[in-house]
Amino acid sequence: MSAGVSAPELVKLRIDGVEVEVPRGTGLVETAAVAGLEIPVFCYEPRLGPPIGACRMCLVEVEGIPKLQAGCTLTAQPDMVVRTAAASAKAAEGQDATLEFILVNHPLDCPVCDKGGECPLQDLTFRWGPGQTRMTFPKRTFDKPIPISPTIALDRERCILCYRCTRFSENVAEDGQLVAANRGAMSLITTFEDEPYCAPFSGNVIELCPVGALTSTQYRFQGRPWEIQNVPSICGLCPVGCNISATTREGKVRRILSRNHPEVDQGWLCDKGRFTYPHLYATDRIHEPLERVRRRGLGELSWNDALDRAEDLLRGAGGRVVTALSGSETLEQAYGLGKLLRQGLGAHSAVLPEATSDALDAFRAPLSAIARAEHVVVIGDERVADRAPIVDLWIRQARRNGARVDNVFEPRLDEELERRVRDSDRVILVWSGRAGGGGARLAELAHRLGLEGKDGSAAFHLPATPNGRGVAAAWAASADGEEKNPEPINLLIVSGDEAAADPAVRALAEQAEKVLAITMFQGLAVGWADLVLPGTSYLERDGTFVNLEGRIQRLRRTVIPPAPDELAWIARLAERFAVGLSPHSSVVFAELSGLLYGEELSYDDLGERAPLPPRSAFEPPQPAPTAPIPPLTTPPEEHFLGNLRLQRFRPLFSGPAVERVPELQFQRPPAEVELASEDAERRRIATGDTVSVRSNGSALALRASVRKDIPPGVARVAQEHAGDLGAAVEVARMSNPSSPEGRGTA
Amino acid sequence: MADLKPIVLGGADERDLTKLAEYEAIGGYTTLAKARRALPQAIVEELLTSGLRGRGGAFFATGRKWSFIPKPDQNPNPHYLVVNADESEPGSFKDHEILARVPHRFIEGCLITAHAVEARHIFVYVRGEYLGPFEVLRDALEEIRERTDILGDATIIVHRGAGAYICGEETALLESLEGKRGQPRSKPPFPAISGLYASPTVVNNVETLATVPPILQMGGEKYAQLGVENSTGTRVVSLSGNLERGGNYEVAHGITLRELIYDVGGGIPGGRQLKAVIPGGSSTVILAADEIDVSYDYDSLAQVGTAMGSAGVIAIDDRCCMVQLGIRVSEFYEHESCGKCTPCREGTRWMTQMLRKLEAGEATETELDLLLDVCDRINGKCLCPLGETAAMAVASYVDKFRAEFIAHLEGGCPFGSDSPLDAVLAPVAQHTHSPVAVVPA
Repeated sequence: MSAGVSAPELVKLRIDGVEVEVPRGTGLVETAAVAGLEIPVFCYEPRLGPPIGACRMCLVEVEGIPKLQAGCTLTAQPDMVVRTAAASAKAAEGQDATLEFILVNHPLDCPVCDKGGECPLQDLTFRWGPGQTRMTFPKRTFDKPIPISPTIALDRERCILCYRCTRFSENVAEDGQLVAANRGAMSLITTFEDEPYCAPFSGNVIELCPVGALTSTQYRFQGRPWEIQNVPSICGLCPVGCNISATTREGKVRRILSRNHPEVDQGWLCDKGRFTYPHLYATDRIHEPLERVRRRGLGELSWNDALDRAEDLLRGAGGRVVTALSGSETLEQAYGLGKLLRQGLGAHSAVLPEATSDALDAFRAPLSAIARAEHVVVIGDERVADRAPIVDLWIRQARRNGARVDNVFEPRLDEELERRVRDSDRVILVWSGRAGGGGARLAELAHRLGLEGKDGSAAFHLPATPNGRGVAAAWAASADGEEKNPEPINLLIVSGDEAAADPAVRALAEQAEKVLAITMFQGLAVGWADLVLPGTSYLERDGTFVNLEGRIQRLRRTVIPPAPDELAWIARLAERFAVGLSPHSSVVFAELSGLLYGEELSYDDLGERAPLPPRSAFEPPQPAPTAPIPPLTTPPEEHFLGNLRLQRFRPLFSGPAVERVPELQFQRPPAEVELASEDAERRRIATGDTVSVRSNGSALALRASVRKDIPPGVARVAQEHAGDLGAAVEVARMSNPSSPEGRGTA
Repeated sequence: MADLKPIVLGGADERDLTKLAEYEAIGGYTTLAKARRALPQAIVEELLTSGLRGRGGAFFATGRKWSFIPKPDQNPNPHYLVVNADESEPGSFKDHEILARVPHRFIEGCLITAHAVEARHIFVYVRGEYLGPFEVLRDALEEIRERTDILGDATIIVHRGAGAYICGEETALLESLEGKRGQPRSKPPFPAISGLYASPTVVNNVETLATVPPILQMGGEKYAQLGVENSTGTRVVSLSGNLERGGNYEVAHGITLRELIYDVGGGIPGGRQLKAVIPGGSSTVILAADEIDVSYDYDSLAQVGTAMGSAGVIAIDDRCCMVQLGIRVSEFYEHESCGKCTPCREGTRWMTQMLRKLEAGEATETELDLLLDVCDRINGKCLCPLGETAAMAVASYVDKFRAEFIAHLEGGCPFGSDSPLDAVLAPVAQHTHSPVAVVPA
């Protein structure tokens, strides 16, 4: 059933004597806000589904109805007359009663509760509630706090049973792990079967909870709201670019909150974006430049010496320089590096972990368009939640709104599916996998299916890097000049931790004579880098990222890094090579945007919630020029009969930053091999069995996980557990000597 | 009274109407056959004429409720008939008898109603503790399993509850049936538009449905001549408490409460005096002994500030302490509260705590007034009637027996352990506290 978009009918109503005009069906809470009036709420949160009217905080008087009504469940109707607590003694008494009842068993924890100072219960009690308690009986108590996961603590005494957390778990993240148990005054919040809450979006309940019942263990006792600053920025860990605020106190990041960009993240964050900031304070964080000492040692040197050494390395390379980029550099950083190396040295060769393309700009739309889709087709062999977690939430919302969601492993739609797509309005395609050409393949498909002409339709490619496209564009814009094939490589510049951790880059490093690494962590550089310059995190840089929609968003330096910003020393190095480069990112951005977009932009043009640039006309993507250096992660296609193709993938909770956060270790990928059911059946393997995975010369024992979201013929293992396995693997049950069948439990 | 031919329970004294053959012998299921030949609208009209009002407690006009079901062009979803057999109101046990003695009449009523509202699926939600009636119902359904002439294209699903009074609230029942926690929904939307599986649903009480075949058999007009205006027909009334002859009795509306207690129920045994009467199950306002000359019908009871509810009449004699009664009633609602809305969840427990303090003789008059204020603060603020009726009932004990409550303030309970409440209202014996919560007494 397609819903046409037509101008909504406006209705007039009165709230507290104020006349307002709003579209018919607007929620009453929002309507009151339009009139400048507050209807206080606890359980009401439109992102969680239809209002439930549970907490009774929003009681209002509606003319013609004798009983007080829960305002959150009402919508604007013509000629409605509403009186809130401000204008109705009856409603005021109702709201006072609700707060009195909530406080009857609520513990007097404010002095030790993290929520204090930013607590809706405190605020609403001051505004609408009683000043003194009449409760003289002992309050009901629970054991507290209960760690429902290493990242979240639950305090059941403080819980006011607004059910926001359980509704999030059931209706948004759809993990169903947080539930209410028991009944009545014995009700409590718990995890299903008391298991830890292990799901990629669990942290959102901390922000949803209106009291201090669900709190962050990382942020426990870290500061009071009047001692902190919330610095607006963008998360740089995946290509969605969720809008965040970094809470800082005394120069350190203490937590990450959502800043809610309605078109990008809708106010949600994934646990990786929320809880990974402690990587800034990892024990092996590099503060000073390092140089290789003896075979495997690293010794500190001063910045002046380090820049001298870098200059020597650059000059001594004779132009045979290759730069391995991570795709998590800012536009300004990548541009600066490009200017230095390409203009200064003619070193034009760079590699990125993936191809990039502009072709999808013709099918651009905000991510929020997914929620209104009629038909969503997800193409690819990697999970959306691993590549761009928030997109997974948008797709789930689309499905709850009635959209049909199809998953196909390869970009070949069968006849029936293609017909359905052509017949649907509001079609969204999502590419989540490898070999997408940076979106070029998807753009071709979208064009063939006629998506440009369809209202509400769009196509999204999910890159593997947070800013790969921006980095490639900035590098390309930094100079004119052809890529050469600098064999043999004299100097490999490794930019960023992801590149430093990439086995393919390490392989490249073995071919190079010298290696200059820019990284945050000593553990990534030791043993193979000749010179190490300290890197910074996305939380410590001013600059811009281009997200998977094509939206340019501004990162802010939320805390001062322990080492100078990359742009600062790139600019100083550039000076030595007579290349003009400002150390100020805003100046660099203006210069770069002039080259990329034809007009010089400032950060103010982006604003706090960046707009989405308009679509461009479709142009068939040009075939990529043959790269002199092969792309890094394409595996050779070898298929032996009876064997499975090994697919290495990067789960969400992997990477050098996540590895350094103790509270997130429970979310790290288990040592598992994922199999399709027909392959597992043929080998008599069930989920939970220990299996051997072997290829030429290498064998691993892994736990089997039989899944539906994996194509037959493929064995999928997380990159960090795949060791030295080759492209084709044999998978077999390891027989258990104590029981001949050796079947594990599911 | 003796000359009233029972309608809902008609024939059950003479034959074993749990058996299909016996029920058919007195013309059972012929009304269904006739109804199926009529248009659904005609049946709805007949029910409207009869003036039948829901027997579950809300007393909503049955024909009117059925007429709310939308037409297929307004709403394409399938229709469902859901039977509320989750009888849990303290003092009310009529549906137990109806299911146990005239299951086939009840089934026939369900099938006729399904035809009238164009539903192909009938869900019977039976109170979990009603194992006996469930088995009788199940056996009766087994008897008609092969009888396609009776079943037609209807499917009847019997679902047993799991011990929650709140699942007698229609939207909580629907939630439970859908496999979720039994907590009421906000209304609107109403079940007639969006009920079971977000589809048009009619929820009716067991007795209401068991009355449908007799109404169609005798004609709506004839039925409307029984009883009184606005409360037509007969009612199966449960009598319990301190009475000679407790039990279920089918009477016509218009009988007085005095007649029910003394003529039908045989009066108070042991030479005791009547002290108070709960007229319609524990959710109703209590009446003092001098208030029982009132006609047992909707309007008359409303005029004296109470209600017929689910027709559970509890007689209380002069040995019973009203504070202890208050505790027992309050404990019941505290235990059964679903916990969704704040006033009921917190308020029912607070009420119980205050009543216990009163009973122990440790309260002050300010605290007595606080109890009334808390009842006031619960009333009119809750998501469903559970909390509100609890507050109104307990407040009525204070209102009508204030002197007794005041007497407790000075020297504790004047009745002590001689107050035989077990005959009046069973204790919440399964009042298990969650092992993780520490609840002070």
